[in-house]
Amino acid sequence: MHNVWLIARREYIERIRTRGFLITTVMIPAIMAGFIFGSTFLSSSAKPDTRIAIVSSDTQLALDLQAELQPLMRGTQPRVVRHPRLIVDAMDIGPDTRSVVDQELESGDLDGYLWIAPAGTPGARPTFTFTPRSSDQDAIRSVLAGALSTVLLREQLAHRGIVAADADTMLQPVEIVAARLPRHQDHESAEVSVTVLFFLMYMVIMLYGMNVARSIIEEKTSRIFEVMLATIRPPEMMAGKIIGVGSVGLTQVAIWLAAGLLLARSSMVTHLAGHSLQITLTAPQVAYFFVYFILGYVFYSSIAAALGAMTNSEQELQQLNMFLVLPLAFCFVMLKDVLEAPDGTLSRILALIPPFTPLLMYLRVCLGHPSPVEVIASIVLTSASIYAIIWVTSRIYRIGVLMYGKRPNIIEILRWLRYS
Amino acid sequence: MPIVQLHHVRKAYDSKVAVEDLSFTIEPGTMFGLLGPNGSGKTSSIRMMIGITVPDSGSVSLFDQPFDRGMLARVGYLPEERGLYKKMNVLDQLVFLGQLHGLSGSEARRRSHQWCERLDIAEAIPKKTEDLSKGMQQKIQFIASLLHDPELIIMDEPFTGLDPVNAVLLMDTLVDLRRQGKAVLFSTHRMDQVEKLCDNIALIHRGNLVLSGSMREIKASYPRNRVHIAFAGDDWFLRHPAVEEYKLYPGYADIKLRPSPTLEDDSQALLASAIGRARVDRFEVTEPTLEEIFIEKVQETSPSKNGRELSMAQLDQPSRSDLDA
Repeated sequence: MHNVWLIARREYIERIRTRGFLITTVMIPAIMAGFIFGSTFLSSSAKPDTRIAIVSSDTQLALDLQAELQPLMRGTQPRVVRHPRLIVDAMDIGPDTRSVVDQELESGDLDGYLWIAPAGTPGARPTFTFTPRSSDQDAIRSVLAGALSTVLLREQLAHRGIVAADADTMLQPVEIVAARLPRHQDHESAEVSVTVLFFLMYMVIMLYGMNVARSIIEEKTSRIFEVMLATIRPPEMMAGKIIGVGSVGLTQVAIWLAAGLLLARSSMVTHLAGHSLQITLTAPQVAYFFVYFILGYVFYSSIAAALGAMTNSEQELQQLNMFLVLPLAFCFVMLKDVLEAPDGTLSRILALIPPFTPLLMYLRVCLGHPSPVEVIASIVLTSASIYAIIWVTSRIYRIGVLMYGKRPNIIEILRWLRYS
Repeated sequence: MPIVQLHHVRKAYDSKVAVEDLSFTIEPGTMFGLLGPNGSGKTSSIRMMIGITVPDSGSVSLFDQPFDRGMLARVGYLPEERGLYKKMNVLDQLVFLGQLHGLSGSEARRRSHQWCERLDIAEAIPKKTEDLSKGMQQKIQFIASLLHDPELIIMDEPFTGLDPVNAVLLMDTLVDLRRQGKAVLFSTHRMDQVEKLCDNIALIHRGNLVLSGSMREIKASYPRNRVHIAFAGDDWFLRHPAVEEYKLYPGYADIKLRPSPTLEDDSQALLASAIGRARVDRFEVTEPTLEEIFIEKVQETSPSKNGRELSMAQLDQPSRSDLDA
């Protein structure tokens, strides 16, 4: 046990110390944070207030229009909460009004003006011309058009003797409240954060599984095995290596999770991002993450250890790493189906097949309602297959690490299994 | 108390027999040479001695007891294939390997400093292993195998790749350790290198023991029939009737004298004949070298092979066909 501890510690310390570890550990949350801050910053501050002028000889019309636009000006309308505030000025038509507004438009004091020219014949509608500063003001034009037709309609109604209060009632816009089941809302945000964790688990298992295989190959090529095996047993070496490398992965995941949760909790982000960003993670979700992560990591890194022991170079490993990549990629492909129906038959079956259990059962535990029996069965089945894999791997490992030269074929490997 | 006892050990891999019926004993305070060409089963024997592999039959005893992994803390092993963690700092590396052999961290650190100073590489301590020269790495590995003060020191081809100064430094260190009562096992195909060092030897060829025993006795059992002569001038003396065969090099010749009860007289007669026509700078009569004895022995045990086949060149240049044949 002491030897396993020594090897694991060496592996851990040497890996934590590398620049690569520091870079990925610090940079990934930094990039994540930068992305979140950056996008919220851009969307909130890039667009300043929009100021438009309504130029009309009919002062009443201009004031009515301004009043109609009032809610937008206060920025209380939920629809435009993320849009710039609208500032509306009403102006009478004077002799040099045109040149004044044109100048203001030029200098950027105005973002556009609405010129209301009185109608030639009485009773007809005046003409409306909107001159925007830039061509991307279609949204404002349609807002103006909407407001104008309301104002004109109200005017018509008043002409026909309808009281203002009645007209207001008639013109009350219909609002459809987008209601949601509260549970569904939770579920959706849980789905997002669990999917993020799924990716994290997938990535780290793949990355660190390959790291185990790679470091075994490295030790084979540097021939350090001969020295090591003169004092310790191959299984001890393998255990130490898997534990050491895995601890590095756990450390990294823990740092990321902590950073992610802190980031999500920090008032600045919630303030800036508003309702668009919501990370909800419950304690059991985190606990199950570590349980299934460890199961998955040990499962795949044991396979990786066998692959590493069988090969002599990274190139040879590339040819064999489909044993590692394919089952993981399959989980990835099934992600959508399991998300859609976490308690469906397909999900229930797949989640109990050991190579898929860590990733898929984790999704089910977080998003579906697996029975305790299923959860326990998944853990027991995976543990049992890990035991079997380690039994096979340690035999391959014991002989493979001392074999240099050509890659063994399947018959030779079977012979290794019998050999003790 | 013998440090190592191999008793009729046999090891076969698939179809090849690596070691066949090998027995020998190593006593404390002695240097033991395990000699033979590449592929003759030296490394296989060593691996069985330290439990990396298990013999198919026969037994291995260390320190007068049947092999047990617990004994490995008392064994120092320098493998033929050198291996160190390249990215690791030298001191960390030595401390780690020391700890694997049961030393405490602080003790391993103290001894690492001591040894590095003793072997003149104190300046390497803070460096990364991959930044060191090959010779320096080899010295680090040498230290790593001695850090835990082992009673049995196994050196598999310890001097390959070392310059003469460092080879002598390592050799002196090992002689020193022998004086302290440690048992040192040398495994090498460079027989000339260990000829002067070893108290006892075992010569193996294709997994079979060809010759073993005390170096002095083996040498004494052979007649002094080798003549080394450095000369200038006529080489006519090579046709002297006492000469059985010779090799002529620029400026000198190695001669083997014909077996005869009067060998000493024959050599003097040869010297007289040489002086007659050439200037003799050096004239030396010796026993055959270990290499020559080895070749002779191999020819005796496998008479079907003709002598040419096992030339010195083949001793130095390993071939797998040695095993396959």
